Amino acid sequence: MTQHYDVIVIGGGHNGLVNAAYLAKAGKKVLVLERRHVLGGAAVTEEIIPGFLFSECSYVVSLLRPEIIRELDLPRHGLEILPLDGTFSPMSDGNHLWRMNDHAKSVREIRRHSRVDAEAYDEFSKMMTPMCRFVKPMLSMVPPDPTTLNPRDLKQLHFLMQRFRELSSDERYTLIQLMTMSSADFLDQWFETDVLKATMSASGIIGTFLGIRSPGTAYVLLHHYMGEIDGAFRSWGFSRGGTGAISNAIAAAAREAGVEIRTKAPVGKILVKEGRAAGVVLQSGEEITANVISSSVDPHLTFEKFLEPSELPADFLEGVRRYKFRGSSGKVNIALDALPEFKSLPGDGAHLRGAISISPSMEYMERAYDDAKYGHYSRRPYIDMVIPSLTDPSVAPPGKHVLSCFVQYAPYKLAEGTWDEQREAFGDNVIDTISEYAPNVKNIIVGRQILTPLDLEREFGLTQGNIFQGELSLEQLFFLRPVAGWAYYRTPVDNLYMCGSATHPGGGIMGANGRIASQVILKEWKKPAAQRQTKNGAQPSTEPVASPAARSAKEHN
Amino acid sequence: MPIGQRVAFIGGGHNALIAAFYLAKGGFKPVILERREIVGGGAVTEEFHPGYRASTLAHTLGPLRPDVARDLKVEKFNCEILRPDPRVFAPALNGQSLLFYDDPGKTAGGIARLSAKDAAKYTEFAASLAKISNVFAQLSTITPPSIDKPSPEDLWNLLKTGRGVRGLGKHGIFDLLRWGPMAVADFVAEFFETELLRAAIAARGIFGTALGPWSAGSTAVLLLRAAADEHPVGSAAFSRGGLGTFTHALAEAAKQAGAEIRTNAEVLHIRIKNGAVAGVVLADGDEIAVEAIVSGVDPKRTFFQLMDPSQLDPTFALRVRNIRAKGTVAKVNLALNDLPIFPSLAGAVGADGFRQALSGRVHIGPEIDYLERAFDASKYGEFSDAPYLDLTIPTLLDPSLAPEGKHVLSAYVQFVPYKLKNGSWDARRDDLCETVIKTIAAYSPNFAERVEASQVITPQDLETTYGFTGGQIFHGELALDQLFTMRPVLDWARYKTPIHGLFLCGSGTHPGNGLTGASGANAAREIIRELR
Repeated sequence: MTQHYDVIVIGGGHNGLVNAAYLAKAGKKVLVLERRHVLGGAAVTEEIIPGFLFSECSYVVSLLRPEIIRELDLPRHGLEILPLDGTFSPMSDGNHLWRMNDHAKSVREIRRHSRVDAEAYDEFSKMMTPMCRFVKPMLSMVPPDPTTLNPRDLKQLHFLMQRFRELSSDERYTLIQLMTMSSADFLDQWFETDVLKATMSASGIIGTFLGIRSPGTAYVLLHHYMGEIDGAFRSWGFSRGGTGAISNAIAAAAREAGVEIRTKAPVGKILVKEGRAAGVVLQSGEEITANVISSSVDPHLTFEKFLEPSELPADFLEGVRRYKFRGSSGKVNIALDALPEFKSLPGDGAHLRGAISISPSMEYMERAYDDAKYGHYSRRPYIDMVIPSLTDPSVAPPGKHVLSCFVQYAPYKLAEGTWDEQREAFGDNVIDTISEYAPNVKNIIVGRQILTPLDLEREFGLTQGNIFQGELSLEQLFFLRPVAGWAYYRTPVDNLYMCGSATHPGGGIMGANGRIASQVILKEWKKPAAQRQTKNGAQPSTEPVASPAARSAKEHN
Repeated sequence: MPIGQRVAFIGGGHNALIAAFYLAKGGFKPVILERREIVGGGAVTEEFHPGYRASTLAHTLGPLRPDVARDLKVEKFNCEILRPDPRVFAPALNGQSLLFYDDPGKTAGGIARLSAKDAAKYTEFAASLAKISNVFAQLSTITPPSIDKPSPEDLWNLLKTGRGVRGLGKHGIFDLLRWGPMAVADFVAEFFETELLRAAIAARGIFGTALGPWSAGSTAVLLLRAAADEHPVGSAAFSRGGLGTFTHALAEAAKQAGAEIRTNAEVLHIRIKNGAVAGVVLADGDEIAVEAIVSGVDPKRTFFQLMDPSQLDPTFALRVRNIRAKGTVAKVNLALNDLPIFPSLAGAVGADGFRQALSGRVHIGPEIDYLERAFDASKYGEFSDAPYLDLTIPTLLDPSLAPEGKHVLSAYVQFVPYKLKNGSWDARRDDLCETVIKTIAAYSPNFAERVEASQVITPQDLETTYGFTGGQIFHGELALDQLFTMRPVLDWARYKTPIHGLFLCGSGTHPGNGLTGASGANAAREIIRELR
């Protein structure tokens, strides 16, 4: 007899676990199925080199929603976020820029480069706060459908318009710019120091296949600026024990609420009976049924691997095929015998406790993108490095260290050769780049792990290696994510929902997706099947539910 | 403001001429003050080599917005509009080529030689572009609404536009929302697989901008340009005798309506007394006292060169300074001793159709990545040795522009930086010309021997000689953050300025999309309402 659950959550990444935890807290019997041997998806820590704990993919946290930390009581389950203090940007001429969380210290450091920028930095920080405050509520709302006259959506669109009209003229001007400009052009208006603009604009391209001069990257800059730790915008941190500790804390909270979690349980297919999702069939053949299926994996896996095309309307499937992944980044995790020694600031200083950003100039960043546009990893890549072992000694043996390097650009589609052939060369190139600023790195390496976009896809289930389950580009955000008309966590298949980073508000370890999706599932749970909104916001037709294929045909004529 | 009041216009570009016409019709006495010896701004005909005349800068018309064309009736002022068909010939290096006719079916026939799938999709694409272009066309006629105190007319306009958008249906609305911020390379890839076809259509999304086809927001530029001409590759129309006859006709229409036009009348300074205009000071020392001035030059030139910016409130001055206007386009006009041959044309039209096939625009940019690489160079202060060219050979339909049997080739060259990283433009002008000739020669054997003389207009020349700040031919980058309510700047997108009595009517205002007269006509409507 197959077991039966109220909800099956596909994928044990942080969003899947958050989704499961909230549903269980509401009294639902929930099963989480995780393909890998360990939970967390891209937020995972493993001992790849003996004695060294690598946060293999995501390495810092800041966007985890405070309400989730509170409501799931994560600190009690082991979540502890240690502050990541500042960003150290070494420059090719031996100088550097070292910004810290302490605003006054940062202003003083910037004044070393440009007095004008020091004052502008104050203004900039003051202006970004209302911008974050404007966008923040949008992170925890179901996007309105802009095409219907449905009162719920109109009310939300009106709410957004009202809040926009309450902004001052300067705030409106900056908000429109943030939503439409490139991070480079936006920052050019505020600052003159090249390395400052290059490092700040870098946070506008993380996880996208765009350059700092491409419009739409200013929004990603704001997206990452919104990170909150105890209400202080833009401060990032490590989680003690590695990023995997976040997923484990959420998993513990989920288990406490009654969620059953199975690892090494890869899903093969989503079972659809008369147009309704009714369960899953594991790759082992085992069948498990449920009233609701909540998928935290991306649209390619959910709709093109776990479902048959006939089970989905044609225009929805076309939208899924158009959804852009275009992975553009890789990760190199290195076990070190000692600390790297940066020429521009030698010694074991506090500058090694923050992020170390290889982003010396705007031209450097743009040329890194140019290489990738034509199918080559960047000859001189942008690298965002951290040494978590300095703040969290538990991740490395005494006196030894972990160097975690996020590298951009590494295009999923290479012009020549395969990633399996180019993996070592890609890793060597990253180490060569670092050693231009910290020459001793080459001879203190104990071991390394290189994750190319192909590895992120094969091992971590991130299609084409995109760390956000799909580019954070303007045509794929808010009510367009992941597919226009289907940005409300529902899908064309009744009882099948989406709750991963491919939904609003997008990627980063936020958990907001999983939480909002649970609210949508619970809200619709109360309604008997007949009144459940089968399509995006529109009330279901009263005649019997036709199979999706028939229904989509009906839609077209 | 009493009727019959004199209104000074700074600059005699096509938008100023059109706005002056409407003001004259509205009972005012416009006087156009044009710095150069001829009116027309970016739409002029000049002899660049003895016996050879060319449309010096712009070589095709918007076309004129229909209501403006109806009001000014340019054909009455001996301005004959030539409409070549095919509009565009796009050769590739592998001998293939495409011809874009007025009739989508005929064009699809040619596309079928490269891809049956694309041929079928082309007519669908043309239809869906036309539907969306209607919405943008409607948008280009209205004055951007005030966000805080929308007037009844603003609300009516929003309702009309809203109804137009709703008419697109759910899928149409979502397509519009998706396409707006999308890279034009992704937009054309949704419809077509053939690189040559993709590049020829995507070009309108990057022409005259500092965007490559992979830059997000370039589709919005294409849709804005499509508002003026819904054909997938846009307009190829031009006036016999070059675009100078077009703007000459506009000037005659304005004069007939009562406008006065003075050339060689450079305005040096706008005199302002406690926040209101008082008059204009001309280069010859003359001064004209007026209570209303309409600037047809770009916003940066208006506020930072023609007046003392310290008289502006700081926020407005900062926003004008932030207007991005980095020119990326140069113009090269060539005198040819014979008609260039394009072997790839033979396959498409055979020997006799050769001249007709070349009579429209020639698009040199065979692939999306070709256009992107051309853009890459300009980001670092260089120009690519394989630039994107949009060229015409007007003498095929208008032999009057050159001596008997000779020809003129007029080429827009993209992407060319306003400021070179190394070397000055004067030192590298010929370098650019050689690059253009070499690029054309790749498609037209022994083209170089046909070139007798050349004129090279760099972005810096566009600024110093023709008055385009930064060499930006649209008076401000066409980009998502500089359109509609943000054009030229937020809170001042309704053709008025913080200085009482000073107005704007050039391409730096909404909609600002080429030689359509839309900015001038919209501005006139608002100025007349304000002055009455």
